[in-house]
Amino acid sequence: MQEMIRLTDLKKSFGSVEVLKGISFSVNRGQVLSIIGPSGSGKSTLLRIITQLEKADDGSLVIDGQELFTSRSGQAVYNRENARAIGLKTGLVFQSFNLFPHFNVLRNITEAQRAVLRRSKDESEAKAMQLLRKMELEDKALMYPCQLSGGQQQRVSIARALALDPEILFFDEPTSALDPELTREILHVIRALAEEKMTMAVVTHEMNFAKAISDNAIFMDSGVIVEQGTELFSDPKEERTRKFISSFDS
Amino acid sequence: MSSLLVQMLEGTVTSLQIFFLTLLFSLPLGFVVARGRMSKIRIVRWLIDLYIQIMRGTPLILQLIFFYFAPFYLFGASYDRFTACIVAFVVNYSAYFAEIYRSGLQSIDKGQYEASHVLGFRKSYTFFHIILPQVIKKIMPALGNEVITLVKDTALAQTIGVAELFRVAQTASSREFSTVPIFIAGIFYFVMNYIVSRIFVLAEKKLDYYR
Ligand SMILES: Nc1ncnc2c1ncn2[C@@H]1O[C@H](COP(=O)(O)OP(=O)(O)OP(=O)(O)O)[C@@H](O)[C@H]1O
Ligand SMILES: [Mg+2]
Repeated sequence: MQEMIRLTDLKKSFGSVEVLKGISFSVNRGQVLSIIGPSGSGKSTLLRIITQLEKADDGSLVIDGQELFTSRSGQAVYNRENARAIGLKTGLVFQSFNLFPHFNVLRNITEAQRAVLRRSKDESEAKAMQLLRKMELEDKALMYPCQLSGGQQQRVSIARALALDPEILFFDEPTSALDPELTREILHVIRALAEEKMTMAVVTHEMNFAKAISDNAIFMDSGVIVEQGTELFSDPKEERTRKFISSFDS
Repeated sequence: MSSLLVQMLEGTVTSLQIFFLTLLFSLPLGFVVARGRMSKIRIVRWLIDLYIQIMRGTPLILQLIFFYFAPFYLFGASYDRFTACIVAFVVNYSAYFAEIYRSGLQSIDKGQYEASHVLGFRKSYTFFHIILPQVIKKIMPALGNEVITLVKDTALAQTIGVAELFRVAQTASSREFSTVPIFIAGIFYFVMNYIVSRIFVLAEKKLDYYR
């Protein structure tokens, strides 16, 4: 099995507050990792470090065999040459979509293909239309984000991320801004990607969904991994995990 | 009567020169000032803020006089009225435009920068293709107001003796013991501003295709 993410002993502080206190895990190709935990436990910070929106303080990270940073005398040292290539291997889907409001749906999906991957107009549009069909949005190609529902916007943002053919896709609470019906749309899309063996790490509060699609799971609290493994959904070992999981039972 | 109109048209040309030259320099300069105002370096931020506060906190008429007479008192040299007038207008309007740009830049959600970064856009690409178009749309109304104010402010150039429209009108008025020239000048300003506001309405309409 090919290791796509190997994260070792990641530490991160904001000012004097230590937000991540030594996080380690690995994800193999084609696997889905779900990350759960209470608000403020550091889940977003974790994804933001892996997708290079934040800098790590200490630890090491290897993505698809390429080192992004490594720990040297208690400090994360970045490998600048790899950073951009690794960035192209990772995609991130945000809770708040962050579509570009001044571009129509098609252009949202083609812009980076053209500017970053230097694909031709035809090629990038063909790719965009193929993804829009997959998202069942082909009739919305010429609309603007503000004309779409939240669920449709989130599907466009997933298509936008997929258009760059990432090796690993990260989701940070992709359904938290959506009502239950639209949430189902998105979960459906992520599940389909899981079936296609897309490597993914998903931060979510949708426990049943996470349980259903995950090959591995971690429960975080106050910057540490309290428990790891999919059994934490059905048979949590730790008291803190048990409390958290049971708070979702209705 | 016809010579009066010719004089007034000449004055109008001068007013328009002040107007366009001020825009030409202060629209881009305002951007540089805005960046300075948002600089990471504290002293730069502080100095730029002081400059903006002075420009906003003192009358433009005073600034005109300052820029006309300061070189003489400081260096014993002076330059022509028109240049002094352009310098004063540019320095003043750059400060106002900077504040408009800054509010526009700060109104852009940081998610736009983050999405751009994750997609692999470089900084300058993100700025020119993602951020700037959104900023322009946001600041259009404020910019429109400022440009209309500029048309009217050109009348202040007369304080340092620039023969712009209003000065021509006033001179003619006292020469002929009549308020007609002043009234005609009013119509001229109104027409200019009518055109300016039409242009801004059109621009806003053109940018109305999203959100
Ligand atoms: N840029 C920042 N500056 C200072 N503190 C930050 C910053 N980003 C996050 N934090 C703090 O780090 C901690 C972890 O935040 P993070 O967003 O990673 O939590 P989370 O698990 O994603 O929470 P949620 O479920 O609410 O999204 C929080 O206490 C937060 O206030
Ligand atoms: Mg979060």
